Amino acid sequence: MLQSPLRPPLIEGNKTYRSITSDILNPMMNKAGKYWYLGMTISGLAMLFGVFMIFWTVWQGIGTWGENRTVGWAFEITTFVWWIGIGHAGTFISAILLLFRQKWRNSINRSAEAMTIFAVICAALFPLIHLGRPLLTFFIFPYPNTRGLWVNFNSPLVWDVFAISTYFTISLVFWYVGLIPDIGTVRDKIKKGLKKNIYNFLSFGWKGSARDWHRHEVTSIMLAAIATPLVLSVHSIVSMDFASSIIPGWHTTIFPPYFVAGAIFSGFAMVQTLLIITRKAMGLEDFITPSHIENMNKILIATGSIVALAYMTEMFMAWYSGVEYEHYAFMNRATGPYWWAYLIMITCNVVSSQLLWIKKLRTSLAFTFFLSIVINIGMWFERFVIIVTSLHRDYLTSSWTMYKPTIVEFGLLIGTLGIFFTAFLLFIRIFPVISISEVKSVLKISGEKQHKKDLSHEK
Amino acid sequence: MDEQFNFKKQYRNILLIVMAACLLVLLAAILISRPGASRIWANVLLNNQFFMGLSLGAAFFLAVHRVALSGWHTVLQRLPEAMTTFLPIAFILMLLIYFGMHHLYSWTNNDVTDKVMEGKKAWLNVPFFFIRLVIYFTGWIVLTRMMRKNSSALMTSSDIKYHNRRKLFAGLFLVFYAITVSSSSWDWIMSLDAHWYSTIFGWYVLIGMFVTSLAFITLLIWLLKRLGYLKYIRPDHIHDMAILLFCFSIFWTYQWFAQYELIWYGHLPEETSYYITRLKDFKVLFFVNLGINFIVPFFGLITVNSKRQLGWVAFIAAIVLIGHWIDYWLMIMPAAGGDKAGIGVLEICMTIVYACVFIFIVLRSLSTGPLVVKNDPFLEESLNYES
Amino acid sequence: MRNRNYISIFFDDEVPLLQAVRKLRESNEIITDVLSPFPVHGLDEALSIKRSRIPVVGFIFGAIGAILAFGFQAWVFTVSYPLIIGGKPFFAAPAFIPITLEVTVLFAGLSMVAAMLIRSKLKPDIRFVPVDKRITDDRFVILVEAADAKTTLMRVKSVLSGIQTIEIR
Repeated sequence: MLQSPLRPPLIEGNKTYRSITSDILNPMMNKAGKYWYLGMTISGLAMLFGVFMIFWTVWQGIGTWGENRTVGWAFEITTFVWWIGIGHAGTFISAILLLFRQKWRNSINRSAEAMTIFAVICAALFPLIHLGRPLLTFFIFPYPNTRGLWVNFNSPLVWDVFAISTYFTISLVFWYVGLIPDIGTVRDKIKKGLKKNIYNFLSFGWKGSARDWHRHEVTSIMLAAIATPLVLSVHSIVSMDFASSIIPGWHTTIFPPYFVAGAIFSGFAMVQTLLIITRKAMGLEDFITPSHIENMNKILIATGSIVALAYMTEMFMAWYSGVEYEHYAFMNRATGPYWWAYLIMITCNVVSSQLLWIKKLRTSLAFTFFLSIVINIGMWFERFVIIVTSLHRDYLTSSWTMYKPTIVEFGLLIGTLGIFFTAFLLFIRIFPVISISEVKSVLKISGEKQHKKDLSHEK
Repeated sequence: MDEQFNFKKQYRNILLIVMAACLLVLLAAILISRPGASRIWANVLLNNQFFMGLSLGAAFFLAVHRVALSGWHTVLQRLPEAMTTFLPIAFILMLLIYFGMHHLYSWTNNDVTDKVMEGKKAWLNVPFFFIRLVIYFTGWIVLTRMMRKNSSALMTSSDIKYHNRRKLFAGLFLVFYAITVSSSSWDWIMSLDAHWYSTIFGWYVLIGMFVTSLAFITLLIWLLKRLGYLKYIRPDHIHDMAILLFCFSIFWTYQWFAQYELIWYGHLPEETSYYITRLKDFKVLFFVNLGINFIVPFFGLITVNSKRQLGWVAFIAAIVLIGHWIDYWLMIMPAAGGDKAGIGVLEICMTIVYACVFIFIVLRSLSTGPLVVKNDPFLEESLNYES
Repeated sequence: MRNRNYISIFFDDEVPLLQAVRKLRESNEIITDVLSPFPVHGLDEALSIKRSRIPVVGFIFGAIGAILAFGFQAWVFTVSYPLIIGGKPFFAAPAFIPITLEVTVLFAGLSMVAAMLIRSKLKPDIRFVPVDKRITDDRFVILVEAADAKTTLMRVKSVLSGIQTIEIR
């Protein structure tokens, strides 16, 4: 495999196989620093707050939320879609970038996949809470019951159940298959004790045989191939929760691809937020280089522009359709009582991501970090705008109303953030954050030493 | 590496003879069967759109690969570049639509007095239609020419600035194209059913264009290899072309399904009218379209071995090419073809005439320079590519 | 030399490993296994490992999943408990597609992982002991079958004389 010398090295510093292992494992196996404990405390508190609010919702009922008869869906479904969307970047990196042979994905895929799993867990919580009676969850699965009645397979909400459970299962399996060789590495680094036994158990007896590697590679690429339509379908199905209705502002055919683009957009923003901290905190600057960050920023421009194009298309079509309800829905979205949410959405998603065309901003880590948080806020508001502005103006003007979230609902958002970050912080202490074997496999092709050799060869 | 395509007189003659023969049959068919002006004009629009789509899809292929710093496509980049040189002719052909406006677009008739159409007047009026048309083509032609020109410059000079400039134009093209391909498909195709609208329509057309160009590039590789060129294009490159064809055929199906499913589910009369006309009168073609464009590439290219055999991939590509022609047919004809819409001698002969012109232009521009960009910084990588 | 019927050759880089594999195969030694910390590019070819048929497993199970899911939904809404929902026909095929896709992917994915684990005999096992602790770090090992350890060792050593090895035992 020859690489053009134009490409920046994927791994910096003069690494050997041995130093890759130790560089990735040491920050994980050494004692955790005080910032880790600080992070755990903060996210743990947030998680406790959220758990209490979940308990409060179940105990008191959904009346503790701000929803009313007109706006029956608001904060929770917004947060649900937001989390599902964030999950998409992980699968995008591990599946689509693998199929398109983007080698730079090798040092970010592990953490992005972990992020996917945690985000899907956070998202899956919301339908459970939303049921009001979580004990009756089994009602949403098709099972033979005494009344002979099945779930409604024509309903996008049931599609969601299948989509999200499949997505979670396949992401988890994909992630774990990738982890097996690296758990083997951890196993062989630990001398003895309970920890050794646990890692030995988790490593599935990985010995690194050529045939095993071959099957491992084939399985990974096949999982990537089937995860690609999966990742498209999941957010498409989520979008159909809205688009299969006939509510103006929801019923529009562009929704599936537009939601997928938006999901990848917000997911990459979250990956940026996490990785910029992780690489600093764990000293992984050689593996997650500024060029990795820049590549992800380029994906942010692309997906951000697709989202912007979708906003424009929707606006234009609402006008072009000549349907007065569509006209109203979109005018109301931009200039109605929720104009401020619309403004936040446009500023944070469209305007901010277009700044990345400037190379100086695109390569600046501080700016990227700031921007990634801005985009996450913007994408939350995008869902809020779509959901609430379409609902709060009902068909009957007498039912027109406004929606105001309560502290309980903010608690749920904060709580899931707590769960997400707690899980991520635990993950970086338990498993290697970077796929050791995959990084080793690109060292000879695109390590710094090789890169210098290529450059001198060129002259 | 200085291999150059020789557009022999013999090849030219074959193309010209086939074209002349089909032109004669076409004229005879028009004179004898009198298909009606609507059907003739609808065919002109259909072929304009199809062959323009081949050029634009090729430009999109180049732009995406350059922006993504792809290495593998470097050895074959001259082929899509040559395909983009058809755009000036597509421009002229599209301008011809002016004479058939009244046969194609119901909104050009002034006696329409319905409220919805009144509201669309600001967008759907003849002067603005042509202003937009000129803007689209100017942008496309200028940007694709600049991409090609900077590639050609890399043949003689090894200055990296040409490579960077090419990348810049690729980025500009992507932005311009993303906007204009949507709005041009609204103008040229969606407004045939003047009341109907669908937000996904532009993206659906875009992916369709991309798939047709992938198929055509594959066929071009096959043809040139048959004629003894492009020895350095190995199964690894074919594999990647096939992966793209496979993936984007599935992606096309996804977009097709998204549009159909949501309109079917919502069941609003403004929207379903589109599918009702197509399902009522052209049920067979409707499902043939889906079958050819999804099932054939899906099962045809699913295994690794099938993706690496150029002959087989080219065979599938040829079927897909026909499939997407049918797809355009289903978008255009039920709305504009009049009562006698169908697929007959008229359709087939006109398409062959267009195809001969298109292939002639592509081969001629291929023959103007070497088939490989000698100083491309990714050339070595591409030559040694392993998939 | 304890009573073993194989010889291990250690390397610290994949380039000499590949050379050694080719040379050993040329001189008709039987390589039982090659262990490495990451998938070595070109090793499959050098060992002439046939392409795994795991994708076939995935395809078959995916097809089963697709038929099951679509068939089940169709059965529920046409035979078991027909309901008119939103004015759609009982057999509302477009509405069954999303679940069919999900179940297909689920079946295909899980079956391929199961096939991989079974074929490679990977299972949770606390008592597992690796051949060498550094294989998962930076050691590459070739295991050569040896009916008679001493003579094979001599033979292998002479075959690999020009290649940079760490240890042969």
